[in-house]
Amino acid sequence: MSSKKWLAMFLATVLFLGACVLGFNRLADPFGVFPGKALEWPSYEMTMNPRTAKITYLKEHHQEYDSYVLGCSSTSSFPVEALNEYLDASFYNMIMYGADMLDVEQDAVYLLEHYEVKNLVVNIYLDNACTYDQVSNPLSYSMPPETTGESPLTFYTKYLFMDPRHSLDKLAAMREDTYLTQSFDVFNAVTGAYDKKVRDAESIGSLDRYYETYPIFANYPEASYETTREAVNGTLESLTRIRDFCLEKGVNLLVVTAPVYADHMDYFDPQQVADFFTGLAQVTPYWDFSYSSVSFEPRYFYDETHFRNCVGEMALARVFGDDSIYIPEDFGVYVTPENVQAHVEAMGNTQPMAAEDYTAEVPVLLYHHIAQEGNEDIIISESLFRAHMEALVQNGCTPLFPEDLAAYVQTGAPLPEKPVLITFDDGYLSNYEIAWPILEELGLVGTIFTIGSTAGNVDHYKDTDHPITPHFSWEQGSEMVASGVISIQSHTYDMHQWAPYEEGKARENILAWEGESEEDYRQALSQDCDLIRQTILEETGEDAVRAIAYPSGLYDDLAQVTLLENGFDITFSTQVGCNTLVKGQPQTLLGLCRYNMNESVSVEQLLEWVAPARG
Amino acid sequence: MSFTTLPFLILVGASVVLYYVVPKQCQWVLLLAASMVFYCVGGGKTVLYVFYTAATVYTATLALGHWNTLKRNAPKEDKKAITAKYKPHRRAVVAAACLANFVLLYVLKYWNFTADLLQPAVDVLIPGAQIPLSELVLPLGVSFFMFQSVGYVIDVYRDKYQPEKNFLKLLLFVSFFPQMVQGPISRFDALAPQLLAKRSVNYTDLKYGIQLVMWGYFKKLVIADRTAVLVNTVMDDPWSHSGSVLAFAIFFYCIQLYGDFSGGIDITRGVARMFGIDLAENFRQPIFSTSLTDFWRRWHITLGAWMRDYLFYPLSLSKPFGRLGKFTRKHIKGKLGKIIPTSLATFIIYFVIGIWHGANWRYVAFGFWNGAIITMSLLLAPKYVQWKEKLHINEDSRWWHLFQMVRTNILVFFGRYITRAPRFLTAVWMVKETFLHPHWPDLWNGTLMTLGLTGGDFLVIALGVLVLLCAEWYEEKHGSVRAMLETKSPLVQCVAILVPLVVLFCFGVLRADYISSDFIYKQF
Repeated sequence: MSSKKWLAMFLATVLFLGACVLGFNRLADPFGVFPGKALEWPSYEMTMNPRTAKITYLKEHHQEYDSYVLGCSSTSSFPVEALNEYLDASFYNMIMYGADMLDVEQDAVYLLEHYEVKNLVVNIYLDNACTYDQVSNPLSYSMPPETTGESPLTFYTKYLFMDPRHSLDKLAAMREDTYLTQSFDVFNAVTGAYDKKVRDAESIGSLDRYYETYPIFANYPEASYETTREAVNGTLESLTRIRDFCLEKGVNLLVVTAPVYADHMDYFDPQQVADFFTGLAQVTPYWDFSYSSVSFEPRYFYDETHFRNCVGEMALARVFGDDSIYIPEDFGVYVTPENVQAHVEAMGNTQPMAAEDYTAEVPVLLYHHIAQEGNEDIIISESLFRAHMEALVQNGCTPLFPEDLAAYVQTGAPLPEKPVLITFDDGYLSNYEIAWPILEELGLVGTIFTIGSTAGNVDHYKDTDHPITPHFSWEQGSEMVASGVISIQSHTYDMHQWAPYEEGKARENILAWEGESEEDYRQALSQDCDLIRQTILEETGEDAVRAIAYPSGLYDDLAQVTLLENGFDITFSTQVGCNTLVKGQPQTLLGLCRYNMNESVSVEQLLEWVAPARG
Repeated sequence: MSFTTLPFLILVGASVVLYYVVPKQCQWVLLLAASMVFYCVGGGKTVLYVFYTAATVYTATLALGHWNTLKRNAPKEDKKAITAKYKPHRRAVVAAACLANFVLLYVLKYWNFTADLLQPAVDVLIPGAQIPLSELVLPLGVSFFMFQSVGYVIDVYRDKYQPEKNFLKLLLFVSFFPQMVQGPISRFDALAPQLLAKRSVNYTDLKYGIQLVMWGYFKKLVIADRTAVLVNTVMDDPWSHSGSVLAFAIFFYCIQLYGDFSGGIDITRGVARMFGIDLAENFRQPIFSTSLTDFWRRWHITLGAWMRDYLFYPLSLSKPFGRLGKFTRKHIKGKLGKIIPTSLATFIIYFVIGIWHGANWRYVAFGFWNGAIITMSLLLAPKYVQWKEKLHINEDSRWWHLFQMVRTNILVFFGRYITRAPRFLTAVWMVKETFLHPHWPDLWNGTLMTLGLTGGDFLVIALGVLVLLCAEWYEEKHGSVRAMLETKSPLVQCVAILVPLVVLFCFGVLRADYISSDFIYKQF
């Protein structure tokens, strides 16, 4: 073969391979750098490169937003929904993981120059005093050329000729995608924030349990961080330019500092922190949330550097003077050049809250059927039930409704000294005939989680010939609710079926059937939620239906997420134990543990279980 | 600008096309422009050091050339007088040019090492005083272009050829871009005429160039970069690994180093060949070395040759060494007395080669290791002959040859402990661990699979090394693989294009250190 032919063939092969790579990468575009593409998946692309993919997303969606939140990953936890409400705006969260203030400035300038902007919220994290103008993996951290002035040719070439496995990964992830958040699609493209639907649906309880789940908080790694002059000056200069540009454009600028976990704060020299915050106050007034009693409570943090969305809600409530939700007293200070000195001095005296000031221990008792004779499963005899109730009274326990627990957690409303919950599952007629009168007589209250489809079934299971333990009717339920002694909540409408009596495949609990599509399952559970709520509200006159006891105690992430989306934010399991509620941490209302009460539970045992109760 | 980046390929592609498009008298200007682009993109402001070296060398060689011409044009009877008259001047100029470059090289590369070394003494003598550290950025390929330039000055001093009178042409010799990163260290008389030649398109040169570049990328991307993943994982924290894993990592490091360095040189030579330029060979199947001396004749050949021509010979032929030779011959009887000066010069050379690699005790020790072994073998050579005779060893036998190769490679292997360990003392500890706590099961109980490479990667490395060994063996025994391929049918030649490209694409472009999306946001 002549050299000329060889070269022609070589070039043709190289060009062909190059064109394949280029074409495939352009088509898949896993980093979201090209607007308009066949395989569009913004949440994946934002995960791969939030800096560029969000700007690309806004090119097509900027009309839907008029305000923006900017900053590093902790910025995600300032919920745009709350901001929208407080400022009557439409916010987009521009959070970029690993962002320094130069990234933030470049984003801000781009937004202010290209779009109509009403509000800009800038979040400063303490690490911004340590790093500035840092780049690591260029594909995941590259800012778009419109913001940096980088040559578009260099920028786009990098993504066109990148390792095509990035594109292949996107295709593979498409096959694995689920409704729940996974490591490859951590963003909610519509809000721009991290999609924390799974993390925000996990049940949280005692500190010990939290340490077990997140050992990092029990053994926080030792380290020390130094702020650097370059980073501090760079951050303050960037912020100054953002401030001036906002002034020029008439944009409302709100600067906040993110809550920092106390052990992480210990990495820093207090004097360096004070200097940084003092410098910040000279640039602009800001709300400082960095170090308060919140910093000492691990259950307010997702991990060592990220505070939870619920904390972001508290912070915004403080900024906008919303006293309808719980906010720790020392959380959030508006810092100005005038008070900055006093503020940084006061930071040194920050202390954790005493556990009794913001946490409660609430045992929950789970009864089912009451009969003349009990057993060691789910039936308790009337006499023992009465003995239990009398013991509670004598012991000074105050039974509550689930709503009371929610009020404690969400608004900080006080709880009685020894709070307990008395609950009944399934909705048996004995609850009406035996339990209700006893509770009324003793001045106690209880909650019945009833199954909608079997309400009023006295002889037979639904419309079958199979016998059933009698269930109370809606009329009877209405009577109980009207007395103020009983709250009726959900045990699902028809997702606790008795399989042997059902024709076809039974729904025995709220988990998806094996092989059932996610969409079908979520639709079924959502419809059931609507139906039971609607039925209880209409049939019994109950004020609100927001609590559910998982049938058979079974649940998983998808079930919990779907329940939350359908307004069930107080959920009960059958796991055994006392519950720790934390003010401002609504996840302590999820998956609440209950003690199963039957004939084997003596009064002494009951008193032992309710002993830790603390309001 | 790394060889493995797209901008480098674009620069090469564009330069090659333009080189054959522009008028022939401008071709060398294009090469200079490409070199400046390469250096400015890769080295930024440190391009000034290239100008500095070129300027010092240019000035010195013009002066030396002037005196050389005076001598050459003088009548026969005056030659001696003229030589004597200008000898001090010429020596001063060549010394000044060497110093101007080596002092700068010392400040850039070795000053901080010296400062750290001297600081304890300063602490005692002048408490509180700090030796200032150099904050200068080390220019790209500084050791290569300075050694190459100094060699040129010495050649002109020796009147081997006329100096280049055009500064820009000399600048091109100093900065020719393909060889700026890893060498080779070229000679002026071999390189400059090629750089300045006027050429038409030569498809064979282009083909050979591309083939060499592809071979280089194969060694670098498919083999070296893959092995580097395991090597780096182990060497980032050697204390967490058993002796056998440490030995395995050093074995991989030997592969990595050869793949990376010789691959880089192949890319360099391939790119130069596309411009019709033949650069000096820098590696010649070092795995088949039969002694450490032979190894250094096959490994980084141009550095060894530079040391031989510009350091070893001047040193061996210098007056002090002459006097030493007389002294040892007089006082030490036999062959030993004769070879002591040569052995000492050899030791110094390898010591310098060690330090040339970097400013660190590790490299000092590396130089010592090589120097000591080679000197010892020189000194013990007469004994070896006796032993071989006693043991009836046939020096031409295949087994003896194999023994020599294995022995040499083992010596090289242990030398690599020194250069790859984070510190010299760690290297000593690692060798100790290899012998005292090897824990051999780590080599097959799955431990190796936790060091950043998958089973597939190990397979690719194994096959890559096998291909490499076959090619090296063929070249050692029969000559050019490329020439052999050309005798094959067009179909085989087509396959010879496609297979390497696909292999390069799949195992080179698609790197072992690829980070999938799962790892980008681990904390969620």
